[in-house]
Amino acid sequence: MILEVKNISKYFTIERGVFKAEAGLVKALDGVSFSVNEYDTLGIVGESGSGKTTLAKIIIDLIPATSGEVVFAPELIQDLRKDVQIVFQNPYNSLNPKMRISEILSEPLLIHNIVPKPFIKERTLELLRLVGLDEDVLGRFPIEFSGGQRQRICIARALASQPKFIILDEPISSLDLIIQAQMLDLFFELKQRLKLTYIFVSHNLAVVKHIADSVLVMENGRVVEMGNIDEIFYSPKHPYTKALLDAARS
Amino acid sequence: MENLLEIKNLKVDFFVNKKLVPVIDGVSFCINKDEVLVLAGESGSGKTLSALSITKILPHNAIITSGSIKFSGSDLLVMDEKQLVDIRGREIAYIFQEPTSYLNPVFTIGDQITEVIMLHQNKNKESAIEEAKELLSLVKIKEPKRVLFDYPHQLSGGMNQRVFLAMALACRPRLLIADEPTTALDVTIEAQILQLLLELKKTMGFSLLFITHNLSIAKRIANRICIMHKGKIVEEGSVEKIFDAPEHFHTRELINAYEKIGKL
Amino acid sequence: MQDKSLKIGIFIIGLFVVMAIFAPIISPYDPSAIDQDGLLMPPSFKHFLGTDTLGRDLFSRIVFGSRISLGIGLVAVGIATLVGLMLGATAGFYGRRVDTVIMRFVDIMLCFPTFYLILAVAAILGPSVFNIMIIVGLTSWMGVARLVRGEILSLKEREFIQAERSIGASNLRIIVRHLIPNAIGPVLVSATLGIGGAILLESGLSFLGLGVQPPTPSWGNILIESKSTLGVAWWITIFPGFAILITILGFNLISEGLKKKMGN
Repeated sequence: MILEVKNISKYFTIERGVFKAEAGLVKALDGVSFSVNEYDTLGIVGESGSGKTTLAKIIIDLIPATSGEVVFAPELIQDLRKDVQIVFQNPYNSLNPKMRISEILSEPLLIHNIVPKPFIKERTLELLRLVGLDEDVLGRFPIEFSGGQRQRICIARALASQPKFIILDEPISSLDLIIQAQMLDLFFELKQRLKLTYIFVSHNLAVVKHIADSVLVMENGRVVEMGNIDEIFYSPKHPYTKALLDAARS
Repeated sequence: MENLLEIKNLKVDFFVNKKLVPVIDGVSFCINKDEVLVLAGESGSGKTLSALSITKILPHNAIITSGSIKFSGSDLLVMDEKQLVDIRGREIAYIFQEPTSYLNPVFTIGDQITEVIMLHQNKNKESAIEEAKELLSLVKIKEPKRVLFDYPHQLSGGMNQRVFLAMALACRPRLLIADEPTTALDVTIEAQILQLLLELKKTMGFSLLFITHNLSIAKRIANRICIMHKGKIVEEGSVEKIFDAPEHFHTRELINAYEKIGKL
Repeated sequence: MQDKSLKIGIFIIGLFVVMAIFAPIISPYDPSAIDQDGLLMPPSFKHFLGTDTLGRDLFSRIVFGSRISLGIGLVAVGIATLVGLMLGATAGFYGRRVDTVIMRFVDIMLCFPTFYLILAVAAILGPSVFNIMIIVGLTSWMGVARLVRGEILSLKEREFIQAERSIGASNLRIIVRHLIPNAIGPVLVSATLGIGGAILLESGLSFLGLGVQPPTPSWGNILIESKSTLGVAWWITIFPGFAILITILGFNLISEGLKKKMGN
């Protein structure tokens, strides 16, 4: 087991007026527990507002949980910021528009001292090759690239610190279908080659079926069902899972 | 079969940095009466722009450079703005991807629907409100009376799309153009809206031009599919032809990707 | 169009900057040298903008005055931008209590009638070029702070900042390398506009005798000397006033041009 999520809840209070009186409570996550095995891909499925992105951000400690615990296996994950990475949904938004690709990719290398300074260029080239980009992209700015290319750059940045665990938060849903298929192949290949563990967050059941080993179905901040691919897709138990499958199949 | 809309060799250019860039490059297609035609393609393929060209509601930097658009016999491209205003909404209506942003946030749903009704049908306020209630129940909104007094932000995306659909159908148009109307919605809501569209099409008897990037929707609802790519229609045919025997390279690539990840 | 206002602005300001740098070469006389024959001489070939009440060459004084006026404008705005940038970024990034404290301080500063505050401080510290720079700088950073805070508030929710945090970048690195470069655009626009304002402020202070002290020439204190002779020697009023006008116009054009350029 590489990750164990224990009873995570996240409440947002709605404040009103000058004195920030509490006007209500939104339960974005309500007692979520699950675990992920090393080298597995866990798919997290749910509709908008189900709390899947909030969960991803809590796992990687971008926002604090109200209660509960996220535990990474200490022998596998020493430094969260180095060994666990995240790729976001919108590649148009997740690269600093004022930075060249070379700077974007060398940033994590510098922060974590992955390679000595003279070897940074070599390492960035290696990263680009991993995600299938040419070296002439280095001097260019994010705006010059298509969505698919940008997402490849985001993946290269995530791979820079040699992580063991990557959270993919709807990584292909803003891309065109043909590009989506290519990206899924890339995720698969990288996983094999670099021995990665994934959490793959998506609203698209077909995509999750394609890449995941097991699936977590979420509704309104709760886990309604969890199981391996066959269980979820061929013998779903919870009515919500069934409704999702029916809607996607109709 | 009777042609309701016939587009021939439509070309649209964009003004970018004082240069004309072709965006739609000779598109021809027709929609028959009572038909569901799906215009499918990836982002930037020109499908939305083709649809907007039909009643000339284009962005200010787009110019139609050639072609003809015949709607039940008369060419829309040679009409002046006054004649087009009569056609828009009354004969040809649109629904779009983000209903919430197409509805005015400071007016109630009732205000907005009655405005459309009074604009096109010369009705007084009371009968317009009655009509609005009917329209809301037509799109299967429960408690139409309550919804009339709601503001768009109080309703979900799916509800807003129903409201928008009700407004579009207020004048019983002959052609409904739906531009990715379910893309912003969850799958369960998407299925409901598609179902509703097909039912209404049957009862009200309009033709439907449906624009989507989602091939499984295309497969579900289309009578005929046009695949757009880089401003051209690269392939046109029945659902069976497109999915089982695609000819064009791009269509084959799309269908392959769809077979792999687009369907369950 | 947008290139033009930027180009004209840069040309005007460039001209004044060259004038300030090469003042000793450009000006035909020492700005404090007195021509015994010619008090209040109108423009002529010898003194082509005329002379002032003491018989000093007006052109030379305006040329040397540009050093002081532009210097004050640039340094004061530099200080204001730096202070505003630091406080605004801190408030926007850390939010909560830090934000409240800083922004309430901004409100307090904004409540003071700035000009009287400057007058009071100038009276206490004594008027000198250096003091004027500091005082003007330290009383005009609030706009920048608000602007930067707003930019940072929206930028820090963007995914590239979250991505930076997830790769372990420190807060300082995120603020300096990622947030500020993306927020700097509007700040630049308001700063160029601010330079004009600072020059005007200095002129006002000098006019009231609390600015740059004679015999050092600044555009403002050349203007004061003209007030008693306005009826007989129009040139002493018109030319320095014109220099101020053109400079502010130049900075406003640059600001306008930058704004449009960034809009694209």
